[in-house]
Amino acid sequence: MADEILQIRDLQIEFVSEGEVTKAVNGVDLTIAEGKTLGLVGETGAGKTTTALSVLNLVPKPQGKILSGEVILDGVNVLEQSEHEMEKIRGNTVSMIFQDPMSALNPVMSVGEQIAEVVKIHEKVDEKAAMERAREMLETVGIPGERAVEYPHQFSGGMKQRVLIAIALACSPKVLLADEPTTALDVTIQAQVLELMKELKRKFNMAMLMITHDFGIVAEVCDEVSVMYAGKIVEHGTLEDVFDHKCHPYTEGLFNSLPDIDNRKSELKPIKGQMPDPTNLPTGCPFHPRCDYCTERCSQEEPPKVQINDTHYVRCWLYENTKESQLKG
Amino acid sequence: MIKYILKRLLALIPVILGVIFIIQFILYISPNDPAVVILGVDYTPEGAAQVRESLGLNDPFIVQFARYVLDLLRGDFGNSYVTGEPVAVQLAARFPNTLILVVVSMTLCTILSLPIGIQSAVKPNSWFSNITAALGMVGIALPTFWLGLMLILLFAVHLEWLPATGSVSLTGMILPAITLSASFMAGTMRTTRSSMLDCLNQDYIRTAKAKGVSHHDVIDKHALKNALLPIITVVGVNVGTQMGGSVLTETVFSYPGLGIMLTNGIKQTDTPTILGCLVVMAICIGICNLLVDIIFAFVDPRIKSQYSKRG
Repeated sequence: MADEILQIRDLQIEFVSEGEVTKAVNGVDLTIAEGKTLGLVGETGAGKTTTALSVLNLVPKPQGKILSGEVILDGVNVLEQSEHEMEKIRGNTVSMIFQDPMSALNPVMSVGEQIAEVVKIHEKVDEKAAMERAREMLETVGIPGERAVEYPHQFSGGMKQRVLIAIALACSPKVLLADEPTTALDVTIQAQVLELMKELKRKFNMAMLMITHDFGIVAEVCDEVSVMYAGKIVEHGTLEDVFDHKCHPYTEGLFNSLPDIDNRKSELKPIKGQMPDPTNLPTGCPFHPRCDYCTERCSQEEPPKVQINDTHYVRCWLYENTKESQLKG
Repeated sequence: MIKYILKRLLALIPVILGVIFIIQFILYISPNDPAVVILGVDYTPEGAAQVRESLGLNDPFIVQFARYVLDLLRGDFGNSYVTGEPVAVQLAARFPNTLILVVVSMTLCTILSLPIGIQSAVKPNSWFSNITAALGMVGIALPTFWLGLMLILLFAVHLEWLPATGSVSLTGMILPAITLSASFMAGTMRTTRSSMLDCLNQDYIRTAKAKGVSHHDVIDKHALKNALLPIITVVGVNVGTQMGGSVLTETVFSYPGLGIMLTNGIKQTDTPTILGCLVVMAICIGICNLLVDIIFAFVDPRIKSQYSKRG
């Protein structure tokens, strides 16, 4: 599989603060092929953002520590790169759109300057050419180029997110990490921003990691989806695999938490209990305390990866003895 | 913007009137008799009554207040009770001295404490940060007069490198400036450190890093400009405070500035001198605050747009 642009293998990250160890990411495997979009779904605190930050090698230090694993971006293991090498990669090969557009822009720099900055760093162009590119990028994301001289406080939330998208795409990166890019926006604006991202993804032929907790967004923009729980990928597959043949009880729980538009009288069935405390993860399967199908084994041994078909796998004891032939039959 | 500045300057006028009113009122109700000061050994009850009458001290307070303000408008600060000289002349001679001392000491303070504060924010748990924080505490804790005396002892008496008395010259300025800035350095350093720390944890710093901005530029271009507002406030307020607060330093070094003039005025119950000094200091503090607000607008576009809306 030579066309894999991003490959994360057995990534483990923990945070240490005041003597407490928070296990944020516990052995994540991810691959994204060129031009494809992978959705990373999970509750707040599942380690999605930390996983994405590791691709930029920007896991906050010194609290955050990458214990093991590799992150291979376009053939290069970013975790082994020097800070100087990383500066050339960030914003150029890979860029990231952050969750909260309100605070992600520098309030004392004009938006034009902020877009031009990334162009100046990665493409040896002068100030004027960079500003020209900044204006073009603004037009690309649907903001009039003249507004480049304005400051972030003069833009609405949706506009700020567009500016952030413009910054992220200014150097045509091969991989775009989108960390809940629409969570902080109004629903109507959400649709616009998503549409824009889809369109630009096609235009620039980027691979994308879409972090979200919204299956609607996944269905809209993703090719494959990974469900993350307590720092682990518990289920992974194509959209069809996960939407129509979901296996993991957690995935099922996530879908049950969504309102059913065809049957409005049906009650929501939220997943019982809380996310486990990441400083004190349960033994065995981390989901077992909240799982309806929990067996004794679940609380003692960690479930292995069970391949359901070529593209679909799940980490759950329920499927341990399921043969592929049985599933098909 | 210009409209805003003019508005603020106009707003200074009632502040200064208030200052004059309060100080004059306190001096008015204080039991000191200016006639005693003026006549000295020639004091006779009749002479004193005559002096009081000629100075208008028997008039109601509000008349005295109005007379002082009207004189002030013509640039007349009255005459010193002690020397009989116009206070304005004294002020004109001494005010520049204090101003130079404050500017030099604030420059010294800012040049030293800003980089130290930034560096200790970038590496908040390093030995450098801990040592400078400790030194800062020492700087705050040392009484100005003690530090001044120790510096004189070391550099003027033992080493004989610098003069013991301050004056408006390169060598005469060094010791007073160090003494004056020592106590302000710690505050400036700490403000810089905490403000920078705060900014370095903001989301836009992460955005900048994700763009591939170098470590150096993240600090200089992205964090520092955002961290400047509280630093400017502290420096501005310090300048204002120092204009009036250099009294101790000036006394220790017998530096010919406003501070000594004020203390002498107080010791001799010289009402016009006291009033004159305080009015000048009040104007200085007001102008410093205004300058801080104007600089804000140039640093932060959000504030600038507020001004133009209101202006």
